[in-house]
Amino acid sequence: MPSKAGRRFMIGLDVGSTTAKIVRIVDGEIEYQITGTHNWKELVKGVKKEDIISTGYFRHSVPHRASVTEITAAQFGVKHYFPEAEVIVDIGGQDTKVIDVKSNNFIINDRCSAGTGAFLEFVANYFKLELNEIGTLHFQAKRIPDINNTCGVFAISEMISQLVAGYSKEEVIAGMHYAFARRISFMIPETETIVLIGGTVKNEGMVSALRDILKKDILMPPEPQIVNALGALKYYS
Amino acid sequence: MHRAHVSKIGMTALVPPELIFACAGEPFDVNNIIPASKNYPKNKLCAWTAIWREMLVKREIKIDSLIVVAGGDCHNALVDGQKAAMSGIPTHFFFYPFDGDVQYLESQLHKLSSFLGNIEYPEKFRDVKALKKLGRKIDNKRLNGKISSSEAFRILVSFSDLMGDLDRFRNALDIKEGNIALNNRVALIGVPPIYHDFHEAAQSLDLQIVFDELPYEFVRHSGDDINEVALDYCNYTFARSLDFRIEFLQKELEKRKVEGVIHYTQFACHHVLEDEILRAKLDYPMLTIQGDLPGKTPQQIKLRLEAFREVLERS
Repeated sequence: MPSKAGRRFMIGLDVGSTTAKIVRIVDGEIEYQITGTHNWKELVKGVKKEDIISTGYFRHSVPHRASVTEITAAQFGVKHYFPEAEVIVDIGGQDTKVIDVKSNNFIINDRCSAGTGAFLEFVANYFKLELNEIGTLHFQAKRIPDINNTCGVFAISEMISQLVAGYSKEEVIAGMHYAFARRISFMIPETETIVLIGGTVKNEGMVSALRDILKKDILMPPEPQIVNALGALKYYS
Repeated sequence: MHRAHVSKIGMTALVPPELIFACAGEPFDVNNIIPASKNYPKNKLCAWTAIWREMLVKREIKIDSLIVVAGGDCHNALVDGQKAAMSGIPTHFFFYPFDGDVQYLESQLHKLSSFLGNIEYPEKFRDVKALKKLGRKIDNKRLNGKISSSEAFRILVSFSDLMGDLDRFRNALDIKEGNIALNNRVALIGVPPIYHDFHEAAQSLDLQIVFDELPYEFVRHSGDDINEVALDYCNYTFARSLDFRIEFLQKELEKRKVEGVIHYTQFACHHVLEDEILRAKLDYPMLTIQGDLPGKTPQQIKLRLEAFREVLERS
């Protein structure tokens, strides 16, 4: 984050289960930084507690002037980009939240890894690939195998069976993206437009599968991972 | 006249405790020990019924006989109750009428009375009625911020069996009053949460529960004899149709000036299916949460509660 010597800025700090994000607005421009949760302190070096609005799973554990849940922060952050957003889907490392803005309802999947970023991490780890690589390989699939298991662990066994049956790595990865997207789609209420946020939605293959299943307008902010940190800042101001 | 031995009568859901007392029994709601239980049953759908079933079968709950509410309210109890019965516990199956038929309920109460050895102390009906009146006063004090929601809940939920001892229970109703700020007034509907500190957790997040749906039913119904009990308990909302229950809820929520509703659902309980109907019919911001095993309120549930408070503060 560029140094702005001599000027004090409020910052939004989102410390989640896998990554920590910081946002500040300098002369109308959004500046941000992302790191692993264990390095969160690096993000706030030299920042006074009174200048921090925290959110995320560890919002109460980090220094802050005020804190806000990631559910509310997501609504404020998304509003910055899409003021008319009706449904927000936040796919994080350890949970997925579906926020129905109109009816003030939120559904959270935090019991089962099959609908969270951890699921796609299993897939990437199996192939010894990075998460962004599986997102790209998705588009090289010529056909998509059906992976029906809704349990993360069993889906991995099914994925191996499909590899043995002759599907390519790319095809099996695409199949897993569809299995994941189907799982997420069960949580999404009737709506025309969906805004996706969270680190996992940077996986283009998964987003493509979700778009194909839902057949709705899917919108994404330029950097979906920092929306909650931005929202914390906006909430306070 | 006092019996040398008072039979301890287990009950799996609301059964008129006044009748059990009148039949010289000591009612014991087997659900009351679940939230603090460390028992993790092997074969379960809903943890509430699975835990009491396992504890009964293993004789970890000491009772002389069991009343299973098999019709109305809890569906899993029908099977788990039979498992308890098969283990050798004298068991009676009690059925509420879905349509509120008073004569049917009266016949059920007579059958129950026979199972319990018939009425010996008819005055107990009035004793319990008087205590329930005090219970409604406690509920009202909570509504007016004179006592905390956790304290009110602790007492109201105990009205299902009145601790099996009317004198001891009467003394337990003596609560110190205070002044509690009633920000973010919410109703808690559905079955009671399986977490033993849920009301404290909500309170710590500045949500004041001013209505506990099911425990309120425990103080709402009474009668001076079997006929009056039948007349009143046939309006026990959990055993009736959703329309009946929703109509009651609408009036109660309005009366209590709630700003939002928390719908607690229990994993694998048929009441989970009611959520979408309750959401459609009750015109309040609503948070649905789901619990499974007993213990302290998990962090994920607290996150939902906190976010719900933020919703209420913005609306």
